[in-house]
Amino acid sequence: MLKILIPTLMLIPTTWLTPKSWVWTTTTAQSLAIALLSLTWLKWTSETGWSTSGPYMATDPLSTPLLVLTCWLLPLMILASQNHISPEPINRQRSYITLLILLQTFLIMAFGATEIIMFYIMFEATLIPTLIIITRWGNQTERLNAGTYFLFYTLAGSLPLLVALLMTQKDMGTLSMLIIQHTKPTNLLSWGDKIWWVGCLLAFLVKMPLYGVHLWLPKAHVEAPIAGSMVLAAVLLKLGGYGMMRITIMLDPLTKELAYPFIILALWGIIMTGSICLRQTDLKSLIAYSSVSHMGLVAGGILIQTPWGFTGAIILMIAHGLVSSALFCLANTNYERTHSRTLLLTRGLQMILPLMATWWFIANLANLALPPLPNLMGELAIITSLFSWSPWTIVSTGLGTLITAGYSLYMFLMTQRGPTPLHTISLHPSHTREHLLMAMHLIPVLLLVLKPELMWGVCH
Amino acid sequence: WILAWMGLEINTMAIIPLMAQQHHPRATEATTKYFLTQATAAAMILFASTMNAWTMGDWNINQISHPLATTTVTLALALKIGLAPMHFWLPEVLQGLNLTTGLVLSTWQKLAPFALILQISQNTNPALLTTLGVMSALVGGWGGLNQTQLRKLLAYSSIAHLGWMIIILQFMPALTLLNLTIYITMTSTMFLSLKIMASTKINSLALAWPKTPTLTTLIMLSLLSLGGLPPLTGFMPKWLILQELAKQDLPITATIMAMSALLSLFFYLR
Repeated sequence: MLKILIPTLMLIPTTWLTPKSWVWTTTTAQSLAIALLSLTWLKWTSETGWSTSGPYMATDPLSTPLLVLTCWLLPLMILASQNHISPEPINRQRSYITLLILLQTFLIMAFGATEIIMFYIMFEATLIPTLIIITRWGNQTERLNAGTYFLFYTLAGSLPLLVALLMTQKDMGTLSMLIIQHTKPTNLLSWGDKIWWVGCLLAFLVKMPLYGVHLWLPKAHVEAPIAGSMVLAAVLLKLGGYGMMRITIMLDPLTKELAYPFIILALWGIIMTGSICLRQTDLKSLIAYSSVSHMGLVAGGILIQTPWGFTGAIILMIAHGLVSSALFCLANTNYERTHSRTLLLTRGLQMILPLMATWWFIANLANLALPPLPNLMGELAIITSLFSWSPWTIVSTGLGTLITAGYSLYMFLMTQRGPTPLHTISLHPSHTREHLLMAMHLIPVLLLVLKPELMWGVCH
Repeated sequence: WILAWMGLEINTMAIIPLMAQQHHPRATEATTKYFLTQATAAAMILFASTMNAWTMGDWNINQISHPLATTTVTLALALKIGLAPMHFWLPEVLQGLNLTTGLVLSTWQKLAPFALILQISQNTNPALLTTLGVMSALVGGWGGLNQTQLRKLLAYSSIAHLGWMIIILQFMPALTLLNLTIYITMTSTMFLSLKIMASTKINSLALAWPKTPTLTTLIMLSLLSLGGLPPLTGFMPKWLILQELAKQDLPITATIMAMSALLSLFFYLR
């Protein structure tokens, strides 16, 4: 773990000490080296499932794919930000990169934490750099409002979590994940215990986000700069899912009865947010709502607590992280050229930017869960396990899949096909950097088709 | 107790001319209000200690044991430092002062009463302390929401922080001291940086970015720390206090305190 943390922290002096023309190159290269190094975590050799590198930091097959995803995204974020940051003075560019690196460090420590309190502190700590990125470098005036929404929704959910965790520590004596998986199930009967259960889960449900408390997500995504959107969609939402998976270990057996309203909200949310996507005029908002929809599936999969549900959840999280981030990058390429997110103004791009149209095509196919891509693997696992939990869920999940296909195709057709409006004829051609960015997003998705065991080590 | 009372009176007298230095009518008004409240509090302390001596025959500070006496002295000390529901003087007094005097008022002036509070902590009524603490945290949060004047904002933040400090007093006084120390550090940072930028309203803070970007970043970080966000140091007292409250099986109190921290955070964030 230290092999990865220390180079990441050392990236900060790197950004401040390299000469001006080399900053972006060196940071991208170094973060890419770190990402490749993080791939070594994917080899699980330990018997108990946890490979420890210290009493407080350990990796196991649940956290490793998410860790690798996080490390992989940092060079991609830096690549994506190059264009829109370049007009600013060099020190501000450096501080932007420093913020991204700090966020990365907190995320690595969050996913690698074994004490749940440490996970909590890192979970909260990731809010601060994200808040600064959204409010300082966002594009519209609504970004202040978005930042406030973001911070307060998340904090209102996580403060009860803190109290619940502290109460657990008092009762069980420890909050180390290594130990909790072996404790006997607690006897939870009274009303107070039910509130404790909700307190534990609420923070993660807000972060995921669950349909009822998802309002911060479209605001935050739309107002954030590209790197902010990428990291938000890809990793921060997964923090919520990961936290839920860890916490549900100690929440049995109450979860069987209490999870009903949340599962229903999640399933209903899939359909509702999918339908909203069909009526959106703002491209980034469309992708944001599609994130909510996918995460609703993930929430449903986790809350029913079956092995296939968990497996499907984590596969979908990884695949959705990569694909969603890729879609945001694509939307950003449009935004950088036309400075508008409105779908109507960025139509018919296949004529002008044909190679980018290929990437749009692949990303949208991945979003609608085309076989054999891992998106489908995850969705299928979750839908199957939900069906075995209750046959009626097939109504909402099936409808949800249909609507997802609908809006993904809608997004593709609106941006690529159709007559090109006259004002877009004089756009810049695609940069190599953008192609590289898209390739690095989508090639892992394709590679994961070949070896999905990397993702589902948890239950098989 | 007599010596304690004398010390508090001398403290009040000494700071009065310091506050009245600026010959602005608002400063004079603030000085008068401050003098009145502090004198009342000191008189109440004298009364309580005399009553205790009369009924129990004891002048020792930490042996004050008659329930009426302890309640009175707790309320008097709460008035001195500005805990709700005796907090009404604090925003106006702080507003009338310039930033340096305000700094002294918020930090140094709290040390003496807190020394007394810590010493009488064993015998105080737990329900009273909890009520004072929770009310202060909530009032500090709600009151600061509509403020644009920075000094009043810092006054309400002081009320909220004092609430946190009081609530843990009955369980682990060491945490009260820790919270006090960290609060003094953070507030001093805020006051001094505001003094450097010579700004007293939120609007003037918005112009700070071009002047001193480093200082603005520091102000932002220290404001977030005041709000109690991890991983900044300001989180540590809140965390430990919540832990102690949880250990004592008081989850509801803990949740109320935590939510009121959110209120304060909102106006820090502006």
